[in-house]
Amino acid sequence: MNRAAILWRVASILVAAGFIAAWQLVANLKLVSPVFLPGPDRAWTALVRGFSSGDLASKLIGTLEHMAYGWLAASIAGIALGALIGSSKLMRAYVAPSLEFLRPLPVSAIIPVAIAMLGLTQGMALFVIAFGAIWPIMLATIHGFAAVEPRLYEVARALQMSRMAVIAKIALPSALPDILAGMRLSLTVALILSVVCEILAGLDGLGHWVLLSARAFRSADLFAGVILLGATGYLTSVAMSVVEQRLLAWQAAAR
Amino acid sequence: MSVVARLDEAKAARRGTPLIAFNGTTLRLGGKTIIEQLDLEVRPGEFVCIVGASGCGKTTALRLAAGLYRPSEGAVTFNGEPMTEPRREVAVVFQDYGKALLPWRTAAGNISLALEASRVPSRERNGRIDALLRKVGLPGHADKYPTEMSGGMQQRLQIARCLAQEPTTLLMDEPFGALDAMTRQGLQDEVLSLTQASRTTVIFVTHDLDEAIYLGDRVIGLLPHPGRIGIEIDVNLPRPRDQLATREHPEFLRLRRQLFDFIKATEH
Repeated sequence: MNRAAILWRVASILVAAGFIAAWQLVANLKLVSPVFLPGPDRAWTALVRGFSSGDLASKLIGTLEHMAYGWLAASIAGIALGALIGSSKLMRAYVAPSLEFLRPLPVSAIIPVAIAMLGLTQGMALFVIAFGAIWPIMLATIHGFAAVEPRLYEVARALQMSRMAVIAKIALPSALPDILAGMRLSLTVALILSVVCEILAGLDGLGHWVLLSARAFRSADLFAGVILLGATGYLTSVAMSVVEQRLLAWQAAAR
Repeated sequence: MSVVARLDEAKAARRGTPLIAFNGTTLRLGGKTIIEQLDLEVRPGEFVCIVGASGCGKTTALRLAAGLYRPSEGAVTFNGEPMTEPRREVAVVFQDYGKALLPWRTAAGNISLALEASRVPSRERNGRIDALLRKVGLPGHADKYPTEMSGGMQQRLQIARCLAQEPTTLLMDEPFGALDAMTRQGLQDEVLSLTQASRTTVIFVTHDLDEAIYLGDRVIGLLPHPGRIGIEIDVNLPRPRDQLATREHPEFLRLRRQLFDFIKATEH
């Protein structure tokens, strides 16, 4: 890291510290009633207490599980369907209009449908999360597969590569930057829908914790849950960029 | 595999039968006739250059020879068999090396692609890759990505990947068209020494008439709309060719004149 990068990093930490200080100040001056707004000190205490009693940890794991299963299911199905549709011009022509209709559909709108069909179950949550998270992945995969350099397919033909080898060695690596970008977007969608499902269906997780804390006016616990959700979103996104950087090291070489 | 192919080739040479033959080959694409009634025979070990104005179908002819296109009429044969699909003993060097290389694989990985396709066991690959990189003048660049290499190096890498197929025939589509003059001359000599040593048959498409005469045993000039043979000249210049001596040879200058006059006439 060079000097300028370090300075930028320091500046961004200072800004974050400033926000927390301002939050503390607002809480200390009681500009908002402490019943609704705890200071960062109380939120932190609630966080530590929640973890030491084990409650918060199990809720966090619950949310992470919802998110992970839904996201993984969306990734597998999205990449498979996207590859199928993206690698055939005919399929693209047939399926694209239907996708354009389904894609902008707000996923929250299908939650009642999913509840009616699957009940207030983990299966319902898995379906809703996967359904919402599949779009960015599938559309990115379609685009990635459609944009493979045609010359590379000719190289593959000249080398008489098998169909499987062409997919594994040419199409998939070529589409990988798009696929990973889609998976990163879906990560956020999966987290949002995990929380929504937990709130609506009362499933064990941070969404449920936040809802109960709010109803009981335990604002410190509420904020602890929100902070934890923010951290989850941030850390999963960071983990995803690390994976991207490792898998796409060749792109860094191009720059 | 390639030994058998080479024996076949030697037999074919004794019989005087061609390795690659176009017999009344016509190709129509989208209702347009690109190549019409092309008759051309390439003998084993021969270096044939194809020249012509742009749009005369020289690249198309090469793609027919590669089996990337199927003729609409007539046939293209390789060793007497119809060339309807690409075969591993025929390697294609594309002009746009930037698009033909896998940007996510290193130099070694790009060569490995051809070895994997030929089912070379993985423990043999590294040795073969090193030898091929040395052969094309890229030793020590195994771990570089194509985007980290100059145009000349990328084209060398593509040639190395083609050589990894152990081809008996090399089809080259304006391989040096995008390179600067110095790099170009260096690569011309390298291709000559690589192919002459192994008696590889070459069809070389270029728009550079000097390059065609310098490299070829024979130069075919195509006429445009639709593509057909307009001129065929034998190049009886001594080998090995030399960038200075060959290009100053009176015969070189005579052929150059003949070819320039032909191209000029086709443009009117």
